[in-house]
Amino acid sequence: MFIENILTNTVMMSTPLMIGALAEVLVERTGVMNIAIEGTFLMGAWAGFVGAYITGSLTVGLLSAVLAGVLTGALYGYITVYLKQHQIVTGTAINILAPGLALYLYRVFFGIPLLPLQVELLPTIPIPFLSDLPVVGRAFFNQNILTYAAFALIAAGFWVLFKTRTGLVIRSAGANPEAVDAAGINVERVRFGTVIFACAMDGLAGAFYSIGFLGLFTENIIGGRGWIAFAICFLGNWNPIGVLVGSLVFGLADALSVVIRTSGVTMVPNEFVIAIPYILTIVATIARRRFNVPAYLGIPYVKEGR
Amino acid sequence: MDRKWRFFLALFPVWSVFLGLALSGAMLLFLDLNPLDVYGRMVAFAFRDMYNFADIFAKAAPLILTGLAFGFAFRAFLFNIGAQGQFYIGCLATVSCALYLDALPGFILLPLCFAASALAGGAWGALIGYAKARFNANEFLISLMSTYVAVAIMNYLIRGPLIESKGEYPQTDVIAPHAIIPKLIPHTRLHWGFLLALLVAALAYFVLWKTTLGFQIRAVGMNRESARYAGIREKRVFVIVFLISGAFAGLAGFMEVNGVQHMLVQGFNPAIGAEGIGIAILGNAHPVGIVFAAILFGALKVGGNMVVQTSPVPSSIIGIMEGFVMLSVILSFYLRRRIVTALEKKKLRRD
Repeated sequence: MFIENILTNTVMMSTPLMIGALAEVLVERTGVMNIAIEGTFLMGAWAGFVGAYITGSLTVGLLSAVLAGVLTGALYGYITVYLKQHQIVTGTAINILAPGLALYLYRVFFGIPLLPLQVELLPTIPIPFLSDLPVVGRAFFNQNILTYAAFALIAAGFWVLFKTRTGLVIRSAGANPEAVDAAGINVERVRFGTVIFACAMDGLAGAFYSIGFLGLFTENIIGGRGWIAFAICFLGNWNPIGVLVGSLVFGLADALSVVIRTSGVTMVPNEFVIAIPYILTIVATIARRRFNVPAYLGIPYVKEGR
Repeated sequence: MDRKWRFFLALFPVWSVFLGLALSGAMLLFLDLNPLDVYGRMVAFAFRDMYNFADIFAKAAPLILTGLAFGFAFRAFLFNIGAQGQFYIGCLATVSCALYLDALPGFILLPLCFAASALAGGAWGALIGYAKARFNANEFLISLMSTYVAVAIMNYLIRGPLIESKGEYPQTDVIAPHAIIPKLIPHTRLHWGFLLALLVAALAYFVLWKTTLGFQIRAVGMNRESARYAGIREKRVFVIVFLISGAFAGLAGFMEVNGVQHMLVQGFNPAIGAEGIGIAILGNAHPVGIVFAAILFGALKVGGNMVVQTSPVPSSIIGIMEGFVMLSVILSFYLRRRIVTALEKKKLRRD
């Protein structure tokens, strides 16, 4: 029972990390670091909640989260890819803007409610027969739609990235943009398109927290989870399989911290249990020596002679 | 480039600040508020009396320091986005000094608090630089994550050993009167720390442009390869830059705790690190620019807070203003570059 609970929570908590980190892998493979990931998560959480609350439809919530991601991505992509401004600086600006904007617009829509507004959670969808399996059944086959989507996206991401021409173009845009250009493909368009797609995924990942997990929206609903996804992309070596493993490890850390906090074990202070994922990231970043960094990561592509 | 253009371009950051404020003003329309009216009241509040006016500079003092924390490292093309954590560590160091060593007289205690906050913040920062130098770890990630660890340490200490004697709220006791930085202007919150922050900014300028170390830092920032060929030990530079940068952020803790708050409250000032990044960008990572940018952000905070307290304008508008100002400053960098290139091309064609 205990193991089953932990496993179920692990898979649940790793869902948004999988989606977000995979998005980061795709976009970083083209040579753009999406520093705005934390802000995009938050906009997705906000839009998912607002869409679902106003229309009463979770589908609309998910679609609004994607839309919010696309808009944030368009802003970030336009400034970094086309105007070639610094990615860390632009991303930080968006990350400062996002919480202000989300809270402000929440106020515009709902005023100051006495109690936090709530929506129903995305329902869990049990897969017939498989969900009855012992131990793993509930964890892997009785989750909400985003969890299934996350696993599907990981598989699709791996396939697209390494087995298709699109994937080749994406990888080359970050490894050798001149070659992509010479082949007659517009590097900026590849990068911009991938930023938008990745941010749409980030929006979904953010919506997981508001309409898939808590059922409400608060200012610190993301609380650095976007950064964890960002880190998983690094630690997973820019590979969807690495993302899968990394997300499950961090999901486990998240699940354990919930268990430890609620179990009344006072050996380790709560504060440090909450900090486990962040400490884990630091240790992993230091321990991991060989990275497969995309060669042009963070460097805007400027055509010669412009 | 003729004079008229140069003057116009030099004022670009100012135009972009106005653009950012105009965009945020447009947001106010959603709440049926008149932006001109709100901004008018903001300015009126900020300059209403000596107390508010002085408060701008009291707010600017720690912002100058977190701005320098990012800007200084940026000169070496290193990204210290963990100023928030270094700030909290500095706060913890200075408040511990002030609480436990309050038997010491003020003229010893204050410098001690000053040194403790700088050293603690610097050491916390230097760890990031060391990880970068020794393990080639990504400093962006590590400094980012170190903030969350610092928050955990702070929450733990404030809930445990440092909690107020009443033990009711997660905050420390008020520090002794002689551990408080003396006021620069009586009956306001402006303290001598502001001048100290200016001094630190001058020091940062001096180190960066007048010393060998500064030359090495800037060389590493401009081109790491050539710096290495020139015999500069870049790893040493990484550690030193993060040490200094962290010390700046730690000092911001001294300003806030000993200058304004006089105690440490759990999770206070949660955006001071991010605002420092905005300020450093707005000030073009130059100490003089950073001072002016910090004063602007201070004014936004003072005017913004007063408007928020006295009218239905929500406090989130301050974050929106900061974000839009940053974005329009980034756009202005792009535009300025375009204009300068166009002018130079024209000049070449004419010659």
